[in-house]
Amino acid sequence: MQYVIVGIGGQGILFTSRVLGHIALSRGERVVGSEVHGMAQRGGSVISHFKVGDYSSPMVKAKDADVLLAFDQNEAVRNLHFLKQGGHAIINTHDPAFIENPSLRKWMSDHGVTVHTVMGYDILKREMGGRFLFLNVLILGAMCGAGVGNVTIEEVREAVKVLAPAKFVEDNVKAVDLGYAGASR
Amino acid sequence: MSNKAILLGNEAIARGIVEAGCEVAAAYPGTPSSEILPSIAKWADDLGTRTIVEWGANEKVAFEMAAAASFAGKRSCAVMKQVGLNVAADPFMSVSHFDIKGGFLLVAADDPGPHSSQTEQDSRFFAMFAKIPCFDPATAVEAKEMVFDAYDLSERHKIVTMLRPGVRVDHCRQDVELKDVIEISRPASFEKDPRRWVCLPASVRVNHPQLNAKREAIREEFETRFSRYNYEVPAKKKARLGVIAGGVSFSIVMDILKAWGADDISVLKIGTPHPLPLKMVEDFISRHDNVVVLEETYPVIEMQLNDRTKIKGRWNGWVPGAGELLPELIEEILCRVLGKEVPEGASAELKKAAEDLNITPRPPMLCPGCPHRASFFSIRQTLPKAIYPSDIGCYTLGVNQGMVDAVVDMGASITLASGLFMAYKADGKEQPIVATIGDSTFFHMGLPGLASAVYNKHIFVLVILDNSLTAMTGGQSHPGIGDKLRKGETGRRVDLEGAVKGCGVNWVKTTEAYDISTSRTLVKEAWEHAKAHEEPAVVIFRHPCMLLRQKQAVIPVTVDPEKCIGCKFCINFFNCPGLVFDEKSKKAYIDERFCVKCGVCINVCPHGAILATEGEEA
Ligand SMILES: Cc1ncc(C[n+]2csc(CCOP(=O)(O)OP(=O)(O)O)c2C)c(N)n1
Repeated sequence: MQYVIVGIGGQGILFTSRVLGHIALSRGERVVGSEVHGMAQRGGSVISHFKVGDYSSPMVKAKDADVLLAFDQNEAVRNLHFLKQGGHAIINTHDPAFIENPSLRKWMSDHGVTVHTVMGYDILKREMGGRFLFLNVLILGAMCGAGVGNVTIEEVREAVKVLAPAKFVEDNVKAVDLGYAGASR
Repeated sequence: MSNKAILLGNEAIARGIVEAGCEVAAAYPGTPSSEILPSIAKWADDLGTRTIVEWGANEKVAFEMAAAASFAGKRSCAVMKQVGLNVAADPFMSVSHFDIKGGFLLVAADDPGPHSSQTEQDSRFFAMFAKIPCFDPATAVEAKEMVFDAYDLSERHKIVTMLRPGVRVDHCRQDVELKDVIEISRPASFEKDPRRWVCLPASVRVNHPQLNAKREAIREEFETRFSRYNYEVPAKKKARLGVIAGGVSFSIVMDILKAWGADDISVLKIGTPHPLPLKMVEDFISRHDNVVVLEETYPVIEMQLNDRTKIKGRWNGWVPGAGELLPELIEEILCRVLGKEVPEGASAELKKAAEDLNITPRPPMLCPGCPHRASFFSIRQTLPKAIYPSDIGCYTLGVNQGMVDAVVDMGASITLASGLFMAYKADGKEQPIVATIGDSTFFHMGLPGLASAVYNKHIFVLVILDNSLTAMTGGQSHPGIGDKLRKGETGRRVDLEGAVKGCGVNWVKTTEAYDISTSRTLVKEAWEHAKAHEEPAVVIFRHPCMLLRQKQAVIPVTVDPEKCIGCKFCINFFNCPGLVFDEKSKKAYIDERFCVKCGVCINVCPHGAILATEGEEA
């Protein structure tokens, strides 16, 4: 299983791969991935690669990813090329109209790629007082809601409970569930 | 005890350092190496060792501290990024000639790409320059293993040993085996011996030939005794191609060959690129007609070969001479050398979609609420005609505000200001100059430049952007903060104003960075003073970094569309992720996804269109 996670520095995307890693390890699977630290973390485009299984290189090659998790719709479009034929993208969107772009539609159908959107900002604004930092777990919930990514919502909930700081556990679980309910299938 | 955990490559390296019994560790932060030293402290605490773990003010300081601990018989390490080794090059070259005592590991983290550096230099080249051994890990697991061997080698041959992880090893996450500490009971004992510890020219005449001999002895070991790092993965059938690969390039090649199901390509992995196990490599080359060398970023393996005629590599352009060897690029190179069809690159449709939707890569930006943004705004409004040499830190991103005219390396803002002053002085011209430098960078390498400017009577304003943190590299402490690396271990804060005065500066004043009006007054006064008294004047802009999440006034703002005339002044001069220009309505607006309600922009709009909304919201 190969995941690519993209977003903007400051959105807390590193936590997402930590959750995936925790789940894989508790299943006894091997993991390897690559993160961005440093300059790009300051509000720039960031990307995490994460591979579960028998791999040695920490990077996902273009056209190899099973799942693209995008915290930002623009970053999603810039990184769709990582997806393999038949891959799935989970995209947090603030303006879902972008998906109607004809070139994008053509590329998606040519490559058999399915896009699942979640209005993460709207949901967090409505349900959690605009604490956008919970986007990183909301999007994992959305992935489970879309029925892709090879992890279950229960596994995500359990992992988040272990990894999140004690006083934010409840909020994190809530965000996971909001994502689960809010994803387009 | 044996168990597994998913660790960052740097955490794995740190774990290895503690397990190997290192008792003194020093570093200066720098991406991609920064997490190593704090992780050493964490593991040492977890495992109950007494390892001393400290930040030096710069890499030369850190290297020398660790070196001396080795002289006293302790296992020690110095950790830095690749350009940090430029700063530590002086002691590095000297100490490489020494017969050191305790194992001394130098971790120099490289950044092919580069992702967060001013060069793409290859530290393995530095190892070759200093004639010391170098380990080049392909994975986090291997990096941790190499630490033990590096210490062992270092002690047996009494030589500095380098571990050179690249950014993809430092910042990979992988499941890693955790072990117990090797118990080493070795009290500090510095034995006086000037011939050994004083780098007189006379000693070099003995030490240099001895260093050559050590290198050849180590090469012999690398040929025969290091098959866990240097080995061949043979092809199942007759090989059409031989690949020689080091570092993460090896891991990438292996994943590609597996995905291809290739059975006619053999790979020689080189984990010890210097000194190169030449016999092993030459034997591999002799058995293949077609050989490609993949290594980052300089041709270090390639250059050590006596005969490159069969090699496809950097010397003949098969491998690009700059940039990171990403998986797509490695696949392309493999296809080319095999005469296979190269997989098609970026899709035209996706490019078109990105164009239609106006999507470009998002460059890094100062965080919303960052005090540097306000500081740059104040300086530019006060002395718009000035030249602005700057330095290395988050504030280099002030380039987006037109406030960073030249950057060379850490500390150069001050010396560039001096040089620019001298250039205009030669013409008898007055030129306003405002240099900006961060607090950590000032202690790293700002002090000698400032003393020199005072001594030579250079006229400029120096602004120290004091956010009480080494922010760019993730928030480490430094002498101006006082907290030490370990939580609860307090050091003593070196007073910044005092340090500036100690360099001979007569005029130094401090301002709250968010307070644009006071800041402007002080910058103006500083420039007047510098001119009148022929000396540098210093303004310290102070406000805690947003990463520190200190409590501050929450001031929600909004843009009044009636008052906004769409001049983009706020966008061009303030450049905040929370302030966006709407191309349809031709007005600015607040993007609440990013705004942190610092309220500074209220004082930025010349038309008074940015307003506090507190009253309305209540
Ligand atoms: C020789 C060298 N060592 C380390 C680094 C990595 N590095 C980049 S910026 C920086 C320090 C920034 O701290 P400061 O000057 O306080 O500015 P801030 O980022 O906090 O604004 C460091 C250590 C480097 N670029 N060069």
